[in-house]
Amino acid sequence: MTATQPNIDRRQLSYIAGQAADARVNVELEAEGMTLNIGPQHPATHGTLRIVVRLDGEQVIEADPIMGYMHRGYEKLVEVRTYPQINTLVNRIDWLGSFANEVPFILACEQLMGIEAPPRAQWIRTLFFELSRIANLTLFLGDMGVQLGAVTPVFYAFRDREHILNQIESATGGRFHPNFDRIGGLKDDLPAGWVDETRRALGHIRKFCDVMEDLIVGNEIFEARTRGIGVIPADVALSYGLSGANVRASGVDWDLRRDSSNSGLVYDKLDWKVWTHPDGDSFARYWVRLQEVREACHMVDQLLDSIPAGPIMAKVPRIIKVPAGEAYVATENPLGEMGYYVVSQGGLEPFRVKIRSASFSNMSIAPWVLKGTYVPDVITILASLYFILGDIDR
Amino acid sequence: MALVPGVIKGLGVTFSEIVKTVTKGPETVQYPHAKEDPVPRARGVIALHEDNCTSCMLCARECPDWCIYIEGHKELAPPRRAGGKPRSVNKLDRFDIDYGLCMYCGICVEVCPFEALFWSPEFEYSEPRIADLLHDKTRLGQWMTTVPEFESYEAGAQVKGKKVPR
Repeated sequence: MTATQPNIDRRQLSYIAGQAADARVNVELEAEGMTLNIGPQHPATHGTLRIVVRLDGEQVIEADPIMGYMHRGYEKLVEVRTYPQINTLVNRIDWLGSFANEVPFILACEQLMGIEAPPRAQWIRTLFFELSRIANLTLFLGDMGVQLGAVTPVFYAFRDREHILNQIESATGGRFHPNFDRIGGLKDDLPAGWVDETRRALGHIRKFCDVMEDLIVGNEIFEARTRGIGVIPADVALSYGLSGANVRASGVDWDLRRDSSNSGLVYDKLDWKVWTHPDGDSFARYWVRLQEVREACHMVDQLLDSIPAGPIMAKVPRIIKVPAGEAYVATENPLGEMGYYVVSQGGLEPFRVKIRSASFSNMSIAPWVLKGTYVPDVITILASLYFILGDIDR
Repeated sequence: MALVPGVIKGLGVTFSEIVKTVTKGPETVQYPHAKEDPVPRARGVIALHEDNCTSCMLCARECPDWCIYIEGHKELAPPRRAGGKPRSVNKLDRFDIDYGLCMYCGICVEVCPFEALFWSPEFEYSEPRIADLLHDKTRLGQWMTTVPEFESYEAGAQVKGKKVPR
């Protein structure tokens, strides 16, 4: 049974295979290696990512991700738009967890303007932050099955994610692009009956997590295809700048929700834990995300119980001018660390916005981790790294 | 090795889902024959209440992709009271929203200071030709009938409720 083999053997084997592939490249540069294009139109790339893979038989000698097919130039576009308008654009970066994209940008602007959202707004903001994490990672949990050839889980994922999307829509008006966060608070308050309805939706997600545990995590085929495949040791993960569940699956206990001192979110008032896994393989990345969805459900439950009464908007001028200065705020988005470096010269528009998106850094490890693996594993490793093309190309 | 192999367990899950779907019916609806009701807050289409619009151009300026086109002129209206001076009012000549460009962000509805724009959850207005997605002010005015009343708020909210002018 492959699943019960100790992981260290697999890890050593993949290391040796990588070394062998290296040696082969050095010896025979003009070798009869085959070049395989994965993408830009490939279902496993979640968009338009192209990976040029050089093969020796079934083994990958070299993998080169080529990105930019979906570059939309957000960093430049936001320079000619006012701060409220930028909010609608950054929604589209990671389209599966849209609300989470708005939060770090708004927090950076609030930090520059020196205002803080009222407690009720902070609570609801954290609530939607976690809901978008559930919506995003739920789809990953099903999608990973598709990449391994199991088509059923993704239908369950789409079905149960819909409950969360309905809740996001009934409060914000948009299923995918909420555009709900404002500098100094939120656009609107929650509609009546929303809290109870959300509790019901969380029940569906909890059940979904249990189903995935039965369907995928315990499955021998899944374990054989993911255990010991695509191992990323902790030091490599850190040196490539990985973040989010990818780095936690390598055993690094690092979560910006706990470790950063952002003022606009209320994670310090909640009872939750950061999940890590020591293995660093594809299975660990799946497992950590599964636990994170459960933890997010747990957090949303606590948030729903304790929403304080009060206003949802601080005193903010009607025409928003951000004072001159620079601020970098990063939060723990569903895909990893997402940060906005906002430079303002005191005008209606920012002078420059640098967007640090998680998938871009997570993708940079692909050449390292794909070296020495086999062709079918390329797809599963890419799937377990979990990138979204909008988040890579921006 | 687990007591029950994972593959068998997974098949059990699939089977129970089949039973659930057969007995309780599917979660999806067959769209053209059956329709799901969109939530009242859903951003489907923008409706224009023309009487309230003063052609102040705020919405056109705040739109992130500038898809609202407004033209207007000033007109003299009869005085409110007998013997008074004639009032000057802003008349709307053109109010177009290009839904081929619109990002459905809702900023125009939010910034309107005179409550002339509203979201309607209606979504069935696709066109074979993209140019027909430009809705003029009569078409936008017709959407007003589909605008639902604003929902009441959750406990603890301190936001003032609004009313839709009819």
